[in-house]
Amino acid sequence: MESMEIDENDSQSYMRTPEDVKAIVKHAKLDERQLTQLTQALYYPSADVASENLRLLELDTHMLEQIRDGQTLHFKGGLNEKVVLCTDERTYDVKGAEISNSLLLVPDLKFAAATSTSPLKSPRTGNANASLERSLNDSTEDELEVPRTLEQRPVLKVFHEYFECREIKPRFRKLGELLQLTRYSGPENEYCIERKLLFSLPQLLDTVQCSRAQFMEGLQLYRAMELDGHIRVMEYEYEYRTINLMLGLISENSWALDEVEREETISSLNGIAPEEVVSGLFDIYTVPSERCPDKFQYQESLVARIVAQNILQPGLRFRNEEFMRTWQEALPEGMVCDLKYLRGLGICDKEGAQPCIRSLAEEQLPTNINDRMKSLFKAKQKWTLIEMEPYIECFTTPTLSVSQLLAKHARSLTEGGVRYYVSKH
Amino acid sequence: MPILVKTQSSGKGDWAIIELQGDLEVRSNQDMHNQFIGDLYYNKYGQPILIIGHHILQGREQKLEKPFAVLEKSKTNEGERLLDTSIATQDMTQLNATSGAERTVLDHTIAQEHKTRQRTEYTVRAVCTKKLIFKSRPKPIIANVAKTV
Repeated sequence: MESMEIDENDSQSYMRTPEDVKAIVKHAKLDERQLTQLTQALYYPSADVASENLRLLELDTHMLEQIRDGQTLHFKGGLNEKVVLCTDERTYDVKGAEISNSLLLVPDLKFAAATSTSPLKSPRTGNANASLERSLNDSTEDELEVPRTLEQRPVLKVFHEYFECREIKPRFRKLGELLQLTRYSGPENEYCIERKLLFSLPQLLDTVQCSRAQFMEGLQLYRAMELDGHIRVMEYEYEYRTINLMLGLISENSWALDEVEREETISSLNGIAPEEVVSGLFDIYTVPSERCPDKFQYQESLVARIVAQNILQPGLRFRNEEFMRTWQEALPEGMVCDLKYLRGLGICDKEGAQPCIRSLAEEQLPTNINDRMKSLFKAKQKWTLIEMEPYIECFTTPTLSVSQLLAKHARSLTEGGVRYYVSKH
Repeated sequence: MPILVKTQSSGKGDWAIIELQGDLEVRSNQDMHNQFIGDLYYNKYGQPILIIGHHILQGREQKLEKPFAVLEKSKTNEGERLLDTSIATQDMTQLNATSGAERTVLDHTIAQEHKTRQRTEYTVRAVCTKKLIFKSRPKPIIANVAKTV
């Protein structure tokens, strides 16, 4: 496509005039009565537009709503990280898309409906005869000639690329990693902690690639709390000891599992563990009791996990029954251990002569999917999909499921009706 | 520090996208700023018609499946926030000296702080929900002899 070069070189300030418009309409053999009254003359962007500062961002429904609501969005990412875009609730991967078409961005351009004083006619049927017929009819209708108006419309920028967004899972692994550097293990050990590695909530929120809502979920996931203005996680032995003391109060006070009292728990541990820690752990581990107002109950899954984590130290393996027995005995009465609580902590290995439970902590595996696959298949040769899920799901996206990932990175085989995944090589 | 995308002033006016197949090109190397491109008409059925030079294009008005936000980059005044950042950066640089295992995690954070010394912000100037798309081949306007090149 080429633009018309206008009269020699004095084109500097050429402005479209209604006369020019009339002339071109005639030349183009357009029937003016078939056109709406308004002509919009388009111009190349002015030199004043700092066009490199303009970007097009493709929006999905959620993002559009957020923008319409006046919510602020955030681009997040360090130098070595791929940038993400966060709304208050969701996280998106941002990618530049190049196109061969030209997108002319025109502020205040009027669409057809706005250029006509009478309502637009219903669209043609595509049938040449019908449209011919109709245009014959129309020409009799619109005898009256309406004056043509002309408006000048500068194009702001011509785009050949835009940014597209794809919703992704929150990337809060970094949150976990940063928090791991300063695990809390009691006031007496605080002198060992590098103060400069302590981060406040806003600092972490700014640097972790996820939305605010997801960040709060992440804090819950890593069982993090605010101590003295900094976000901390517990050394798990310390966490276990404290939780154990807190759980001890259940039998001590003959509480039912859903009759746990917050104030009582905090005051009972006064002098044994800092109040901030006890109340923080209490709020992470309990949910309000459904039966008794103002009372609480510990979440079985969380309690069972921290207890299991204490038994299943890294590198250890246990005979299946032995492990389950020890685990069950360590839980408060009324709570039941279940293999599902080991998700991401340990695996059940049935390959040997005796089935055994082994520690395999998700957070200690490589973050690269290829390396992770290698270490998983090193830990155990054959996996079912369900077994593998906790270790792979961090790589999934709304469009890429665990089984799709496995199809790419593993080989599947069926044995006795059960599908297993084994190493590709 | 994250780069903010502010949205307060958005939604004013109807901004539109005109999509052309291919590119607008001029033969000479002249500066095209502010130059006239062409005329846009609508017929009574709402179909857009674009006349560029001696070419006429028939298009269609289309709702954008995924609307576009127009972002404009702006630099804000260095306020308190920037001060905070530079202090954080100093701290970060010092702790870079700590042992290797921690290095990777922290590098990201440091890099992050460095990157945002110059604080940028985007503003959503408008949202485009509709476009005019001209997909068909341009047809020549033959009668027009005098004015074309």
